[in-house]
Amino acid sequence: MSTIKLSIDGQEVEVEQGATVFQAAREAGISIPTICDHKDLSPYGACRMCVVEIEGVRGFPTSCTTPATQGMQVSTRTKRLTDLRNCTLELLFSGHPNSCFACPHREPCETHRPQATKAGRSTRCGFCANREECDLREMVLTSERQELKLPVMYSAYKLERDDPFMDRDYNLCVLCGRCWRICEKIHGEPAISIINRGKWSKISTAFDKSHLESGCNFCGACIDICPTGTLMDRYARWQGKPEHESVSACILCPNGCSVKAENKGGKLLAYTMPGFEAEDRLCALGRFGAAQIVNSTKRLTRPLVREDGDQIPMSWDDALQSVGKGLIARRGTVVVVISATTTREERFIYDRLATALQGHLIVLPFEADCETPKIKELSDSVQQGKVQALITNGPLVSPQILKNVEFSLVIDCLESMASQLATIVLPSAILSEVDGTFKTSSGKIRTLSKSSILPGGARPEWMIICLIAKVLGLNGFDFDRAETITSLIQDDPAPEKFEREPRNNCRDIPIRFRGHLVADFVPGLKAFELPTTLVDEAEDEICNGFALLEKKEIAPNMHLLIIEAPQVARFALPGQFVILMAKETSERSPFTLADWDANAGTISLIIEEVGRSSRELTSLTAGDQLAHVSGPLGLPLSIQEKGTIFLGGGCYGIGAIFPLARILHEAGNRVICMIEAASSHLLYWQQELAEVCDELLIATKDGSGGMHGGIQEGVSSVTEKEHINQCIIIGCTFMMQQVSDLTKTFDIPTLVALNPIMVDGTGMCGACRVSIANQTQFACVDGPFFDGHKVDWEELTLRRNAYAPQEIQALPQGIHLTSCLPTSTLKMGD
Amino acid sequence: MSEILPMSLLPSLLAAYDRERENLIPLLQKMQESFHCLSPETVKAVADHLHLSENDVYGVATFYSQIRFIPPGRHHIRVCDGTACHVRGSDRILEAVEKSTGVQPGQTSEDGSFSVERVACFGSCALAPVMVVDDKVFGRMTGTATRKLIEGKE
Ligand code: SF4
Ligand code: SF4
Ligand code: SF4
Ligand code: FES
Repeated sequence: MSTIKLSIDGQEVEVEQGATVFQAAREAGISIPTICDHKDLSPYGACRMCVVEIEGVRGFPTSCTTPATQGMQVSTRTKRLTDLRNCTLELLFSGHPNSCFACPHREPCETHRPQATKAGRSTRCGFCANREECDLREMVLTSERQELKLPVMYSAYKLERDDPFMDRDYNLCVLCGRCWRICEKIHGEPAISIINRGKWSKISTAFDKSHLESGCNFCGACIDICPTGTLMDRYARWQGKPEHESVSACILCPNGCSVKAENKGGKLLAYTMPGFEAEDRLCALGRFGAAQIVNSTKRLTRPLVREDGDQIPMSWDDALQSVGKGLIARRGTVVVVISATTTREERFIYDRLATALQGHLIVLPFEADCETPKIKELSDSVQQGKVQALITNGPLVSPQILKNVEFSLVIDCLESMASQLATIVLPSAILSEVDGTFKTSSGKIRTLSKSSILPGGARPEWMIICLIAKVLGLNGFDFDRAETITSLIQDDPAPEKFEREPRNNCRDIPIRFRGHLVADFVPGLKAFELPTTLVDEAEDEICNGFALLEKKEIAPNMHLLIIEAPQVARFALPGQFVILMAKETSERSPFTLADWDANAGTISLIIEEVGRSSRELTSLTAGDQLAHVSGPLGLPLSIQEKGTIFLGGGCYGIGAIFPLARILHEAGNRVICMIEAASSHLLYWQQELAEVCDELLIATKDGSGGMHGGIQEGVSSVTEKEHINQCIIIGCTFMMQQVSDLTKTFDIPTLVALNPIMVDGTGMCGACRVSIANQTQFACVDGPFFDGHKVDWEELTLRRNAYAPQEIQALPQGIHLTSCLPTSTLKMGD
Repeated sequence: MSEILPMSLLPSLLAAYDRERENLIPLLQKMQESFHCLSPETVKAVADHLHLSENDVYGVATFYSQIRFIPPGRHHIRVCDGTACHVRGSDRILEAVEKSTGVQPGQTSEDGSFSVERVACFGSCALAPVMVVDDKVFGRMTGTATRKLIEGKE
C-alpha cells in the first residue's frame, strides 16, 4: 500500500494512505485529546475534542474523521485549539457531575477517602467507581482550566440495576457512543442504541426494555470500553483499579476462551476480553461469573478428614498421611473421576496416579451430571465391591456412590454435596489460581497463568497429586512446576464440543462446572433461569414489623423515610438516633432522627445510599415493612440558652440538624444553620430549615449555590461578623474533622455527632468505641455528641474503614434489590 | 387523516420494501401512516424485515419528532422545549398544558381529545416560548394564554 507524508506540529510523519490525521498523530507519538475515539472502533466524530488546525482548511476539523493527505500541514497545539477544547470540555461537563474539580477541599478529601464512596448514584468523582481510571477526569485535571463555569444539569435518569451483572447510571453518560459501536461491532445487531435527540438523547434499548430482553449477551464489552463511570461491572465496581493484568484462558467450558485476568492485591476482579474484536468476546459466565466463583465464600480452604463421623480440619501433613493409609490399603480398587474442564497437566497426573494405583481414570464430559452412563457403570462396580476407593475433583458422582465406597477423596475448590460426604477433602486452586495448559474442543492449546493468590491452604491439583504420590512412595511424580509436566503430554484428546454457544446467547451458558451448578456461586445467573440447589431466603421473607408510610428520594442518593414507630416517636428527644434493620437478616445500622410526630406515632429519617444496609432500606417502598426499629438511643442534646449557635450539616446531616435547630431556636438562641453539598441540586430541606432558624446559609463545593466551599468557609465568614458561642456539626467524618480543626483555632466550643460502626446500640458490644481526650467512650450510650476538639479522628477513620473489603463484598449481586425510581421524584439541576 | 389499517396487513406492507437499511425511514413513515403511530410490534416487524436490531430501529425512530409512539388525540399539542423556549419559560407552558388537559408529555388523554408532546425546537425561536396545536403555531405564550387556548378547544 502506498504511503503519504504530512507534517504534524512541525514533525514529518509518514502513514499509509487512508489513515486519518488522528491515526497519523498517534503513530508519530503525538497525543490529541479524545473521548469518542478508540483504536478498535471506527471514527465517529462526536466529542470534538480532537480538533486540529490544517493549513488551507477553514475552521477546526475533527482529526479523527479527517483523512490525512500528502503534504498536509497540521497543528494540534495552538492557543486557539486549547481554548476551543476547554469550551468543549466545559459543555461536555455541563451534563456530567463535575463538582469535585471545583471543590476547594479536593486534595484532603481524596487523602481521607482513598477509595470512592460506594454510593447508589455517582453524583461526583468522589462517589464514582471510575475515579481511579477515568479518561474524562484525567482530561480535566490535566487541562489548563479546571474551573467549570457552566452549572450541572443533572438528568435524574433512574439507576438501571434491573438485570444481572451490570449497574448503569446514565447520568454520567457523555454520549461518546463507544458502547453501542462496540456492541454492533461484536454482535452485529446492537443490544443498545442512542435514542431520542437533543438534550434527551440517551443510550437505551428499544422501549426502554431491560437488557435481559434487548438481545444483550452480557459480554461486558460496553463496560470495558466506556470512558466514564456510566457502565459498571456490578461485582468489580467498588474494588478499585486492577493492578495486574495477564493473558490466560477460561476453562469454565470446553471453548477455553482467551481472557485477560484482572487482579488487584492478588484477588481476581474479572476476566475481560483480551481485545475488542468479535472473536475476543466472552460469555456472561466467563466475563462476570469467573471472579465470583474464584472469590466465593463457599471456597474450600482447609484439608478436612473424617474422624468418628465428623469432618475435622487438619494440617496438610496429617491429611496426606490419612490419604496415604486410605489408598494403600485399597490398591487395585481405586477409580479416579475428573471433569473434562481440568488442565492437561492435571489430567495427565491424575491418570498417572490412577495407573500407579492399578486403577483407572474416568474423564466426564464437562457438563455431565451423575446420570451419565459412565457413572451408572461405576455405581454397579461399587455395589459389587470392585471399586472401594474413589478420587474425584468435583461433585461428579452420585451421593449413593460416595456413601457406598469405603474411602473417598474429594480434591475440589468449592463446597458441594460431594465434599460433605467425602472421607477426606483437599482444597484446590481454580481458574486464575492455576498454571498450565488447556486443550479447547477445537484442539487449540491455551496457556493458563496463575495471577491470583490461593485462598487459605488451597493448592493446585497437580501439586496435591504429587504430594499424595510421595506419601505413597510412588515414582514419577517429582514435579515442582506445572510446566515440567507439559512436555510429557502426548496425543491427549480434546474435550467434547459444547453444543450450545453461550457467547451468542446468554441463555446458553453452561449449567455446571465440574459438577457444581454455576448459579449456586453466581446469583445473577438466576436471571437466565439456570438451576440452583440453594433457596434464596431473602426473597420470600415477609417482614412484620414497622410500616414504612412514605419513601421519597428527595435529592440524588438522599431518601426520606417516614416510619410508623409510636414508641420511638413518643420518647424521642433532639439528637437521638434509632437502629434500623430492613429485614431480619440485615445488619443493624444507626440513623439520626430527622423529625418525629408523637401524635401521629411516626418518625422521619434521611438515609443516604452508600452501601448494603442503606441500599436495603432505600430500596423499600411505601407500604413495605421494616423488620426492626429500636430507639430512641443515645444521649439527647442538652438544650440551653447559649447565645449564637452555629449548626452545620452535610449529606444526611442536613436532615439531622433540623430538630436541633427547631428546639434551640425555641429555647431562645440565635440559630444560624449552614448546609453544604457538592452541588446545588444535591441540597434539600432549605425551606424547612429556613423556617426554624434565624439565618440559613448555603455552601456548595462547586459554587453553584450559595458560598463556594463548605461548612469550613461558612464558619470563617460568620466569625468575621459575629461571635459564635457554640458549633454543632453533623455530616461525614471528613467534614466534621475539618470543621473541628478550624473552630479549635477560633476557640469555639464544638460538638460533633459521631457515626462509628454500631451493632447493639446499648453499650455492650463495643463496636462504636471512640477515643475522646484519650478516654474510651461508646458513641451509642455516651454519644452521639462529643467535643470535636478532643476526638481522635484518625482512630475513628480507621475503625470506620475496618470492614471496607467486606462491605464491598456484601453489596448485593442479585437483581432483586432495585431502585428504579421514576425520574419525577428528583429535581433537575438548574 | 386516513383510517387505521388492521395489523393483519403488516406483512404485505413490509413486502413492498426491499430488505435494505436505506428503507428504514420510508418504512417507519409507512407504519405511522398506516397505524397512526408505532408500537413494539411494528418496530420488531421493521427490524426483522431489514435485519436490524430493534434497538437500532427504535433509536432512529425516536430521533424524529414526527414519528409517534402514541396515537394522536383529536387535538395534538406540541410544546417546544428547545434552548430558546426553555430559557423563556417553556416549563410553565408545559405545566399549564398538563394542568388543563390532565395529560403528561408523551401521552394521550383517555377520551382521546388531547395528546401532548414535548419537542426540541420548531425553528421559531424568535417567538419563544412556542407551542403548536394541530399544526398551528402559537408564539410568545404565557400560562394564562395556554389555558385559554386549550379551553377553547374542548
Ligand atoms: S465518570 Fe466518574 S470519575 Fe469520571 S469525571 Fe465523571 S464522576 Fe468523575
Ligand atoms: S455509556 Fe459510556 S460508552 Fe456509552 S455513550 Fe455513555 S459514556 Fe460513552
Ligand atoms: S454487554 Fe455486550 S451485548 Fe450487552 S450491551 Fe454491552 S456490548 Fe452489547
Ligand atoms: S475523537 Fe474526534 S470527535 Fe471525538
